[in-house]
Amino acid sequence: MKTTKIKLAAILLVVMAVGFSFTALNKITVKGSDTMVILSQKWAEVYMQKHPGTTIQVTGGGSGVGLAALINGSTDIANSSRPIKATEVEKLKARYSTLGVEIPCAKDGLSVYLNKANGVSELTIKQIGLIFAGKITNWKEVGGVDANIRLYGRESSSGTFAFFKDNVVKTDYSPSCQTLPGTAAIVNAVKKDKLGIGYGGAAYAEGVKDCKVKKDDKSPGIAPTAETIKNKTYPITRYLYMYLKSRPTGETKVFIDWILSPEGQKIITSVGYFPVK
Amino acid sequence: MKKILFAVLVMTSALANAQDIKNDTIKTISVDSLETMSVDTVKTVTIESLKEALDEHSMKFSGLDERLATMDSDLGKLTKIKFSGYLQAQYEMYNYQDNIGPGPSTTAVPIKNTFFIRRARVKLTYEPLTGAVFVIQPDYAFDKVTLRDAYVQLNDKWLQTFKLFLGQFNRTSYEVEFSSRSRELLERSRMSGILYPQERDLGAKIEMDLDTKYEIPFKFQLAVFNGNYGEGSLTNNLRDVDNKKDVMMRGVYSFQFPSQGLGIDIGAHTYLGNTAVLQAGTFSDTNNKNFTAKVGDSFQKKWFGGEMRVYYDFLGGMSLKGEYISGKISGEKSSTALPVANSNPSFNFNGIRDFTGYYATLVKNIGKSNQIAVRYDSWDPNRHLAGDAVTIKEDLKYDNWSFSWQYFYDDNVKIVAGYSLPINEKSTTVGGDYIKDKLDNTFTIRIQAGF
Repeated sequence: MKTTKIKLAAILLVVMAVGFSFTALNKITVKGSDTMVILSQKWAEVYMQKHPGTTIQVTGGGSGVGLAALINGSTDIANSSRPIKATEVEKLKARYSTLGVEIPCAKDGLSVYLNKANGVSELTIKQIGLIFAGKITNWKEVGGVDANIRLYGRESSSGTFAFFKDNVVKTDYSPSCQTLPGTAAIVNAVKKDKLGIGYGGAAYAEGVKDCKVKKDDKSPGIAPTAETIKNKTYPITRYLYMYLKSRPTGETKVFIDWILSPEGQKIITSVGYFPVK
Repeated sequence: MKKILFAVLVMTSALANAQDIKNDTIKTISVDSLETMSVDTVKTVTIESLKEALDEHSMKFSGLDERLATMDSDLGKLTKIKFSGYLQAQYEMYNYQDNIGPGPSTTAVPIKNTFFIRRARVKLTYEPLTGAVFVIQPDYAFDKVTLRDAYVQLNDKWLQTFKLFLGQFNRTSYEVEFSSRSRELLERSRMSGILYPQERDLGAKIEMDLDTKYEIPFKFQLAVFNGNYGEGSLTNNLRDVDNKKDVMMRGVYSFQFPSQGLGIDIGAHTYLGNTAVLQAGTFSDTNNKNFTAKVGDSFQKKWFGGEMRVYYDFLGGMSLKGEYISGKISGEKSSTALPVANSNPSFNFNGIRDFTGYYATLVKNIGKSNQIAVRYDSWDPNRHLAGDAVTIKEDLKYDNWSFSWQYFYDDNVKIVAGYSLPINEKSTTVGGDYIKDKLDNTFTIRIQAGF
C-alpha cells in the first residue's frame, strides 16, 4: 500500500517537473567574455528593438566565469573568446548529460599593443611569447632602447588570457606581468607607458601602436587589419564563441539564428570584429 | 497610509538638509583686507601652499601605493587557496521487516525512518604555483570525522600531458571518481561499493591526458595502492598490512560528434591485487569448498571491466551509462585480533569468489532545473552457484532498481528524492529472510547544499 503511494507521488512529481520545465520564457541571459560584451550588448539592443517582447540581459566577467555560469545553470548563453576546455565539457556532461553546443559567432584578431613612442614596431610570435614569459626582459634584446619591458595582461578568468597563453606564450606568464581588468585598461596603461606592452582585441587599439607580428624570423611583419584578420594572414586570430548547454529552442534559437543571419553578422563589423560568414 | 508615510519621509529629509545648511554658514571676509594684500604676497603664499599640498598628496599616494602593493600581494596568496564543500542532509524511510534497520542493532524497537547526514565535506585546495596542487578533504559525519582525500598533485608543465598524485585519493574507476556531489542517484551501485569500499586508498597515480596538448581525447591512469580497507575512525586505519601492492589501470577514449549532439566514452579498467592472510583458519574457494589457509598465504583480487557512456542532446540532454566487471575477489573476515584495514567491510568473510557485476543508468534532463534517473544494477558474488546451491548469504546475487529525481533549486542547492529496491536471490538453504525477497527498500529525500 505504502509502495503504491510512493510510486504515485513519484509519478506526480515527474509530471509536475516536466510541466514546469517547459514553461515558456522570454528572457535570455548572456554572460562571459569581456571581449564580447560590447558586441553582445549591441546584438541584444538591436534584437530587443525588433522583438519588444524579449528581454536579453548581457553581462561580462570573463570567458571562464561565463562557462561556469552555464554549467551551474545561471546563464542561457556563455560568451567565450576561447574554445571550451575538456574539463568544462566533463562538467556539462555531469550536470546536463550533454557535450554543450559551440557556436562560432565572430572572428577577432589579438593585437599586441605598443606605446607610440616605442622604437620597436614588429616582433616574431616567438619573441612576443618570450617577452610575456619573462625570458626577454629588456627592449634592446628585440631592437629597442636599453630599458626594462613592462608587461600588461588580463586576469586568469579571461578567455583572452587563456588564448594568448596557449597560442603565443605557451608557458606561464611572467610573475611581473601586471593584470588589469579588461582590454580597455590594458590599452590605457600602454598608452601612458613608453616601455609597456600589452595584448587584447584588435578593435580596442586606440591611442597605441599595433605591433606587426611575424610568424618567424623570415616572414614579413603583418599588422592586424580587417583584411589580414579575415584572410588569416595575421598570425594571432581567433574565433569568438557562444556556448549553450544543449541545442537551442524557442526564443534563444530565434536570437541565435538572427545573430548568424546577414543582419546579425553586419553588426559585428560595426563593433570592430569580423563576421564568420 | 502609504502617502502619509511618504510625506513624512520627504519632510524628515528636508529638515535634515536644512540642519546641514545651518551648520555650513559662510564666514564674512572684509573686501578691504583682500585689497591691502600685495600681488606678490598672494603669489608666494599660493605657490608655497600648493607645493606643500602637492608634496603632502604625493606622500599620501605613495603610502597608498605601498599599502595597495602589500594588499595585492596578500590577496594574491589568498587566491591560491580554494575552499569548496557540500553537505547532504536527508530523511529516510524503510520498509525493513527484521526490525534491525540501519541504526543500532536492537530488535526491541523497529526503526522505520530517520534523519541523517550522509556527507559533510570541506575541500581545501592550495596551488602555490602553477602545476603543484595540495588537496585535503575531511568528511564530518555526525558520528565520526574521516579523512577522504589528502594528496599532492604535480602537473607536468613541459608536455602538459602527465599528472602525478601521491597520498590518499580515489581508486581509478568511473563510478568512484564521479563525485558524490554530482551523482544522479543517491548511492553508487552495489558492485562499486563492494569492490571499492570507501572509494579511496593510499598510493601513487600517474595520469596521462592527451587532449590538452595533442587534442586526442584519450586518458590513461596507472595507480599503485596499498590495497587496504581502512575505514571509519582513524584508529581503524593502518599504513599497510603486507609488502605487496595492488595495481589499477584505466583507459578511456571519448568520441564526439558535435553536429549530432552525440558523445560516446568507451573505456576499460583492471585491478590486480591480493589479500594477505593474517590469521590462519578455514577459507572457502570459488565453489564454496572449505580449505585451510596459513598466515602469509596470498589470494588474488583480480578483475577486468568495460565501461561505456552515451550522451545525447535529445530534448535537453540524456545519457546512458554502463559498466561491466568480472573477476576474482578474496577477503578475510575481520576479528578483534585482525587489523580492520585488511578486511573489506562489504566482503567480510574468509573466501575467494568469482564474481560478475554490472549496472546501466539512464539519465534524462528536463529543462534547466530537473533531472530524473533510473539504474538497474546487478552483483553476483559467486557466479558458480545459484538458488538453493547457495549456502551462505554472502554468496547471494542482488539485483537493484534505483530511481531518483533531482531538482536544482539554484547554483548551490539541489533537492533529491530517491527510491532503491534491492532484490536478492532466493535460497531455502540459506533460509531465514532469504527464502523470498527480503524487505529492504529505502525512500530518501535529500537536500544538498554546496559552495
